[in-house]
Amino acid sequence: MSEERFILDVIEEASAKRRSDRRRFMRMAAGAGAVGGLAMLGACNNDDDNVIIVPTPTPTAPATGSVTDADVLNFALQLEYLEAQFYSYAAFGTGINSALQGGVGTQGTVVSSTSGQPRQVAFQDPIVAQYAREIAYDEIAHVTFLRSALGSSAVAQPALNLSGDANGAFTAAARAAGVVSSTGTFDPYASDENFLLAAYIFEDVGVTAYMGGVALLTNKTFIEAAAGIHAAEAYHAGLVRSVLYRKGLSNASLITAAGQISDARDSLDGSTDLDQGIVATVNGTQTANIVPADSNAIAFVRTPQQVLNVVYLNKAAVTGGGFFPNGLNGNVRTSAASG
Amino acid sequence: MTESEQLLDAFDARAERRNQRRDFFKTAMGAAAAGVTAFTLASKAGAQSTVTDTDVLNFALNLEYLEAQFYAFAANGTGLASSQLTGTGTQGAVTGGRKVTFTDPVVARYAQEIAADEAAHVAFLRTALGTAAVAQPAINISGDANGAFTAAARAAGVVSSTGTFDPYASDENFLLGAYIFEDVGVTAYKGASPLITNKTFLQAAAGILAVEAYHAAIVRGALYAKGVQTPALITAAGQISDARDSLDGTSDLDQGIAAQTINGQLVSNIVPLDTNGIAFSRTPGQVLNIVYLNRASVTLGGFFPAGVNGNVRASAAN
Repeated sequence: MSEERFILDVIEEASAKRRSDRRRFMRMAAGAGAVGGLAMLGACNNDDDNVIIVPTPTPTAPATGSVTDADVLNFALQLEYLEAQFYSYAAFGTGINSALQGGVGTQGTVVSSTSGQPRQVAFQDPIVAQYAREIAYDEIAHVTFLRSALGSSAVAQPALNLSGDANGAFTAAARAAGVVSSTGTFDPYASDENFLLAAYIFEDVGVTAYMGGVALLTNKTFIEAAAGIHAAEAYHAGLVRSVLYRKGLSNASLITAAGQISDARDSLDGSTDLDQGIVATVNGTQTANIVPADSNAIAFVRTPQQVLNVVYLNKAAVTGGGFFPNGLNGNVRTSAASG
Repeated sequence: MTESEQLLDAFDARAERRNQRRDFFKTAMGAAAAGVTAFTLASKAGAQSTVTDTDVLNFALNLEYLEAQFYAFAANGTGLASSQLTGTGTQGAVTGGRKVTFTDPVVARYAQEIAADEAAHVAFLRTALGTAAVAQPAINISGDANGAFTAAARAAGVVSSTGTFDPYASDENFLLGAYIFEDVGVTAYKGASPLITNKTFLQAAAGILAVEAYHAAIVRGALYAKGVQTPALITAAGQISDARDSLDGTSDLDQGIAAQTINGQLVSNIVPLDTNGIAFSRTPGQVLNIVYLNRASVTLGGFFPAGVNGNVRASAAN
């Protein structure tokens, strides 16, 4: 077994072991998995509230092959293209600069149509408008940064479906989630609330994606930079979730929709519960759940393949669909066989 | 060779390849890294360059004790269970802390959620460290005239030089007290990320980093929204941000929550990032400058009147 595949398998196994929700606790056996600095993790106690991260001797995660730092950054770059374009249109009514879209692979455009086309949201809440602008600037900065870090290795922006019409990826996602009926349409640009729900689709996925990416990178400078973008996406997600929660107190459909989207993502990315809506029941009372995290209060992680299940809107192993109609560019482009 | 030995060898070999590639990537990253506080072990004068993973996790644990106790008292009126406080070093007591009488039920729920998360972080780190975990050192979270919060608020100008700051006295004061901690937590975990060698620990640290960022967004967003009616909150947050910057050295690592005008439009600043859209880093020494409330190199003060426990305990000399 090659060295890189070995480490990835162990990380995947360790990652898989950590996932649990607040109501499900897994006991891990310390056993033969204790490794040097990990030996201290072998000290299991009997408290079921503690999920112990211990790599087991028998990796069961599918082999992902060797992934280079450039592969990881290019994967992240394409998620940033998707987010940057969405927020740029929603906040400003225009896409990102064309100078930021070229590179290796097949360059695509933002899919357009006559109705539901990506456009500036007519925000009713000026604070939400400010948040949209702030996030847009951040995501554009991420695109710029990753392109600079990758240099001539940067992949081009692939085709993106950001349409709000009946054929748009947002409608497909909303129908699958039950947010609209099987013949309904979801236009993320039509209102503040729709914009926030669309942002909700992306932000938590970005957090889980970067958390997986940090562990796959080898270069220390890239790791720290990825951690910094990871933090930025978590700030964004916290902002979007808390705004939805606050507005949801007077508009319960927002709380419901967020939960449906969360469940839909979970149905795409495999059997483990990696996603949580914005409310939780604690001691019989519904309360806020702004922070989606496991029983250790650690954020969830998705493999690149699971992220692709979500953005391709397909639980099978495919190379395109959903928000990326022609798939991603680069070497990491196949979703997991998740069901 | 056992799998664990193979794993250690694999990590060692990767570390060696990392060292060989580091200079190349530093050059390649240079142009793109404007504004990024790049951290290299070799370049920081007086850096604790032999820091182990255990040292890093114990450093984090000290900070989590502080946050967990503050939120536990503010949300629930009681501190952490005594079984969660033992370990190596000198165990200390918590001075101060009481339940906030929240007027905004949403802020009350945020406080409870954050309190649960921080307690879980303490428990997780203690379990990961096992017998190597440090005990909770003496912590001052008092809201009286001699408390660390008052010292911080006076230094920042949030209250006068003879004023008192009680973070338990109101929703707004609680949010400002939380504001003091959360962004520092994000920068601390980010700054620690290159110091951690074990990949599983690194991913766990990334997962805690993300949660602290979620918290910081909740607190900053709540202050900003309330700041529409109460501009003094925006002012106070900016003063706290400036005070932190005055403690941790010359780089601008901190931002308040005041909106900016870009291309003629108001843009919020809930998320403190550099020009690359990347969160800031603080070294452990810089984090201690802030929590010790001292820009000099000391080993105690402020929120930790006897200093933190473990090997990473001196603030930076700024």
